[in-house]
Amino acid sequence: MKRIVLIVLLICSTVASAQQYLTREARLSFDAGSPLEDIEAFTESGSAVFDASSGKIGVQVLMTSFQFKRALMQEHFNENYVESEKFPKASFRGVFAEGAVKGALSIHGITQEISVPASLTQEDGNFVLVTSFEILLADYGVKIPGAVANKISNTASIQVHATLKETTK
Amino acid sequence: MVRLFSILILLLSGLITNAQEDLFDLLDDGPQPTQFTYATFKGTKLLNGQTNETPGKGVLQYIISHRFGSFTDEYLYNFFGLDNAHIRMQLDYGISDRLNVGIGRSSVLKTSDAFLKYRALRQRTGGNAFPVSLTLYSSMNYRGARFTDGLDHYTSDRVSYHHQAIFARKMTEGISLVVAPSIVHWNLVPGPEDPNDTYHLMLGGRYKLTQRIALTGEYAFSSNRRYGSGATEEQFHNPLSIGVDIETGGHVFQFHLSNTRALSDPLWMARNPYSAANGSLFLGFNISRVFTVKQ
Repeated sequence: MKRIVLIVLLICSTVASAQQYLTREARLSFDAGSPLEDIEAFTESGSAVFDASSGKIGVQVLMTSFQFKRALMQEHFNENYVESEKFPKASFRGVFAEGAVKGALSIHGITQEISVPASLTQEDGNFVLVTSFEILLADYGVKIPGAVANKISNTASIQVHATLKETTK
Repeated sequence: MVRLFSILILLLSGLITNAQEDLFDLLDDGPQPTQFTYATFKGTKLLNGQTNETPGKGVLQYIISHRFGSFTDEYLYNFFGLDNAHIRMQLDYGISDRLNVGIGRSSVLKTSDAFLKYRALRQRTGGNAFPVSLTLYSSMNYRGARFTDGLDHYTSDRVSYHHQAIFARKMTEGISLVVAPSIVHWNLVPGPEDPNDTYHLMLGGRYKLTQRIALTGEYAFSSNRRYGSGATEEQFHNPLSIGVDIETGGHVFQFHLSNTRALSDPLWMARNPYSAANGSLFLGFNISRVFTVKQ
């Protein structure tokens, strides 16, 4: 009898560790523009992981991977605003539960606790994470000089769309 | 049996916890993407010389440069030299993120120029790392000023060239350096003994004081600084400049103090008649504005 319990436990544990989902092609975009200036960027090389048993979810992106329409805007974004050399990555680490993700969002070296609505649905054995939310740039120490204050929004609206595939591990 | 059971349970729970702690590490695993180093310099020009930078694809750039009069030459009477300005205007365009073409006109010897600039190699980190950037730069310069020696001249006598290999490296976030060997070719030189080709080595750098303000400097060595002989002998000096870069969105303001006044490449690099040691220092500026023509 005990042997059977053991075997069941073993099987369960293998299942548990296999319930991890991963992508390195997460789509992230943001908009921090104003009526005077379009400031939009996107990337298709974000990473995202999800553990189905614990509900833990993580998203990470290289700041320099964001593509802007204008090369100079991209340079200014990295050089002057988010300081990508000092803070190369933005990340979220938290849990998904009841239609929301809740956890620590780190941008520009500053970490804030956030809780935002998100959907995580199962499609063809993959998990699809979709969320969009707004952050206040000042919360993350992103300074906007007075001269361009009317061109740049003081908030950024962020969109995430990631299709996470089961890891083969 | 019970002992074995509990050991196994412990082992298994250990495995499970491990798996969960490793979850976020998965984000950092996987291939490291190549990242091109950006903003080695703020401008496509350092002071007189070039940086490795070019405007992005579809970007039209306009640069207006002034070089004012000397401190020594009736300085206050000439309003700090501002009454005696030499100017150069430049219009250039980024055909791709690597290729840049432009034209310019400067008032010293009424020189018109055209140039081609190509980013051959770009400094990058990550998967396919490379330590330096290399940009190739060539300009052709046409002297518009009339010759005063009373001789008939071919049109080709008016033409000179400058070819440069610009090696640059962003050392840290705040410090960038440039080393640029170059060759200047004159179709016409003052005397029969004078070389048509002179070789130069430009050294330059910038140090960022804040996000948008940087100190810059450049100096160039020359293989030949004496032309002609006897009454027509001319002594030239190595160009030295120090300055401040101020970047405000689409503009880069570059203010500087240097011993050069000419603005076309062969003239400031190979035939600078002014010596800083003799007090010949000039204020000057470059102001650039970029326009995104094609997105």
